[in-house]
Amino acid sequence: MRARAHVLALVTEAFGGGGGIAQYNRDFLRALSTLPAVGQIDVLPRLAKDAPSDMPERVAQYAPCRNKVAYAMRALLLALPRRPDIVFCGHLFMAPLGVLIARLARAKLVVQTHGIEVWDRPSASQRSAVEAAELILSVSRDTRGRVLTWASNPPERCVVLPNTVGDEFTPGDGSRTRDKLGLGSQKVLLSVSRLDARQRYKGQDRVIPLIRALRDRGHDVVYLIGGSGDDQPRLEQLAQANGVLEWVRFLGDVPDGELVDLYRAADVYLMPSSGEGFGIVFLEAMACGVPAIGLALGGANDALCDGELGGAARPEDLLGSIVAQLSAPRPEPEDLVSRVRSRFGRIAFESRVARVMETCL
Amino acid sequence: MCGLNGLFAYQPAASPPARAELLATRDHMRARGPDGFGEWWSEDRRCALGHRRLAIIDLSDRASQPMVSEEDASVVVFNGEIYNFPTLRADLERRGRRFRTNSDTEVLLHLYAVHGCEMVHHLRGMFAFAIWDVARRGLFLARDLYGIKPLYTANDGWTFRFASQVKALLEGGGVSRAPEPAGVVGFHLFGSVPEPFTLYRDIRCLPAGHTQWIDAAGPREPRRYAGIADILAGGAKASLSSVEAEDTVRTAIFDSVRAHLLADVEVGLFLSSGIDSGALLGLMRDAGQSDICAITLSYDEYGGTLEDEAPLAAKLALKYGARHVIRRVTRQEFREDLPRILDAMDQPSIDGVNSWFVAKAGREAGLKVALSGVGGDELLGGYPSFRDLPRWTAWLGLFVVPGLGMALRKLAKTLAPGLGVRAPKALGLAEYGGTYPGAYLLRRGLFLPFELADQLDPDLFAEGMRRLKPLKQFAGEITPDPGSVFGRVSALESAHYLKNQLLRDADWTGMAHSLEVRTPLVDVQLLSAVAPAVSRLSGSVGKHILANAPSEPLPTEVVERPKTGFGVPLWEWVQVDADAARPNKGTVSRSWAVELWKRNCAAPIGASAL
Repeated sequence: MRARAHVLALVTEAFGGGGGIAQYNRDFLRALSTLPAVGQIDVLPRLAKDAPSDMPERVAQYAPCRNKVAYAMRALLLALPRRPDIVFCGHLFMAPLGVLIARLARAKLVVQTHGIEVWDRPSASQRSAVEAAELILSVSRDTRGRVLTWASNPPERCVVLPNTVGDEFTPGDGSRTRDKLGLGSQKVLLSVSRLDARQRYKGQDRVIPLIRALRDRGHDVVYLIGGSGDDQPRLEQLAQANGVLEWVRFLGDVPDGELVDLYRAADVYLMPSSGEGFGIVFLEAMACGVPAIGLALGGANDALCDGELGGAARPEDLLGSIVAQLSAPRPEPEDLVSRVRSRFGRIAFESRVARVMETCL
Repeated sequence: MCGLNGLFAYQPAASPPARAELLATRDHMRARGPDGFGEWWSEDRRCALGHRRLAIIDLSDRASQPMVSEEDASVVVFNGEIYNFPTLRADLERRGRRFRTNSDTEVLLHLYAVHGCEMVHHLRGMFAFAIWDVARRGLFLARDLYGIKPLYTANDGWTFRFASQVKALLEGGGVSRAPEPAGVVGFHLFGSVPEPFTLYRDIRCLPAGHTQWIDAAGPREPRRYAGIADILAGGAKASLSSVEAEDTVRTAIFDSVRAHLLADVEVGLFLSSGIDSGALLGLMRDAGQSDICAITLSYDEYGGTLEDEAPLAAKLALKYGARHVIRRVTRQEFREDLPRILDAMDQPSIDGVNSWFVAKAGREAGLKVALSGVGGDELLGGYPSFRDLPRWTAWLGLFVVPGLGMALRKLAKTLAPGLGVRAPKALGLAEYGGTYPGAYLLRRGLFLPFELADQLDPDLFAEGMRRLKPLKQFAGEITPDPGSVFGRVSALESAHYLKNQLLRDADWTGMAHSLEVRTPLVDVQLLSAVAPAVSRLSGSVGKHILANAPSEPLPTEVVERPKTGFGVPLWEWVQVDADAARPNKGTVSRSWAVELWKRNCAAPIGASAL
């Protein structure tokens, strides 16, 4: 290995990309680039909806390439002359390509695992690629456990590297957004996610049927749903069928610049998802001082710290958890934020990246 | 012997360990250590250690654990005995180290301060311990060469946990019960769960002869510091004459017995009518122990047969002047004890019932420590495998052509359909018999892989075999090559059957009765001394040397008694029809394994069973 390692990152999205995985990749690559043992990082994304911005030093991102074959060819052409020391593979689907390049370049392979993609046993080529990895990074304990169910790697090589939360998520005055949305004194329940028919596990459809019961208990609630997608009509019908359409509002896509204010406007952040690899939105909401509730299932347990940071409810107790949160005095934002940052803040994340990558550098 | 446990929340996102979990795990091991208990927390409460004590050396409270070093530099929890601790202590004192206790535990702290993780090379004994290094904020775990003492670990990616028992870790409530296919298949293949696996995906055994380091980056892969094959291979380079070999082995065995008598309580003996325990008795006497309590089991079902150990054991006791306790065990007692046996059985094992009762009898006799002759067959060639494996591999090596063995098996099954029922292992001869790993699988296999493929859930079986890789594991146990045919079989028997079955059984049965089982024939110094002589031990030579090791050799009738094993009349006890004919030993073991699995294992891990 060179004095300073050369890293090739094969990712779906990173700089200029949207969504949780792109954010994770950016955070990871940024932290990696600060390590003294790392030289150059070449990033090859499949997608990038926006032009890359705010690129860290020593990180170069190449133009995105959606076509799989062309992507593989470009990755090979990029890797062979440069002979990376580490191939970082940002998604299980890319692991077979990653292991091929790692073998050709005699590089160490690092595979990132997120969540639902590892729930079922993957294809033989993906499994074999993962088993050849020097290091497997998982965003949560649940994801790690699921990987080790089908991969026979030494457990010590499968390491949890949880999401981090950006510095822009801070507590503040949410009244501007509340005024804009005309919320008055209503208690605001908030969910933010893609409304994708393939991701119905996110759980908005668990909340909508509870709205009537919450109002009947005297809680003047309104449920705001941020995000858009092809599942929205189904959710609207569900609200209609439950007679609560009046108190369920679909906000559409929330621009990045407005997200923090939206969190600040909420009284409770809710995402009773049964399929989270981690659930970075919980961290974002809590970093804005907003109490969060999810289900004690899968990776959400990690973001909610088994109920210590946010509510981790059993599915059958969801209503009770929301009622309890609405009935309790709102927690001091500073205390919640401090606890979130000490566990998942940038400093903790960068320190963790340095430690887990020690074995590869 | 004791029980130890600990939690280390190494990941910043993890919550500090819960005291309730620490204590639940620790106190599940109450029987391992009824004489005392303790806990220790790091200043930031990210690391916690727990301990249950069975006081054997330095019975005072000063020697309680967790034990903190004088400079507060490290903290230790320890299970086992360090037999060379007086020598180590003297050496450490010469280096200026000051001791506060007379325990072997304190030696570990000083040794770590001087040698760091390399300290393990200085230890003679049975041990599993954890040392918290205050300055480095890390945990150092170690386990003896043979794995006499257990140490199980669980890492969920945030928090690292460890304990002396699998069930204790589960009792803490923080460890997943997701099944481990390799453990399930391993039990069905061998009748015990081979390390590093357990029945649970998230619980592993720190392998014998390994250390492990855990710090803020999480647990590192276990590092092997010593191996049985390495020692045998090293010894094979020497060349001893028969006379030199005999002298070396005899001296080394005596030295080991003497070392294993180190205690501040009475040390007794499990006495059968065989050479191993008989020789230990004679050597205990030679080492200067005048009052020896020897325990022998007897069963009415074996009365008047060769399997009855009591008459010959009584003669041995008389010859060497031991206080002899013959403990009669009945079917009724077995049935009454069975729920407790299954509860105490940490991981399923088809042996151990005999060990349960002899430990129980030992405790009833007031013993806290007893020597056992376990390990003599592995070291000195007492098993049929020492004869069979070289023979099979020589002849069947001709069939080591990929696919040929399997084809012959299928052909034999078609031509002689009854063969698979009458003698299932005969079907696997061509497939497995040609190599040492394969032949050993054939010899020690409870069920063979091709049988399990039809009996276990297909996915579970395939996944279990893929992870277990039994042949690869056996090949690893004879790497580097021990240098002789005898050495290969000895390494395989020691690293598999002894380690995964006999020593595990000795631990859980002894600990269930708060009794420490010591094994002078399972000793790193002894192995190192014997290693240059193993090529001279073939046939019955090794056992004859052992029989002649005491100053008063064993009587001829003991030496020439056919080997029967340290058995129990399990078939007579578990079968319903009292008049049913007793099948062969293999069939009894298979039936017991199926019964055991159904009663004790299938439900907790939610895995399909035979």
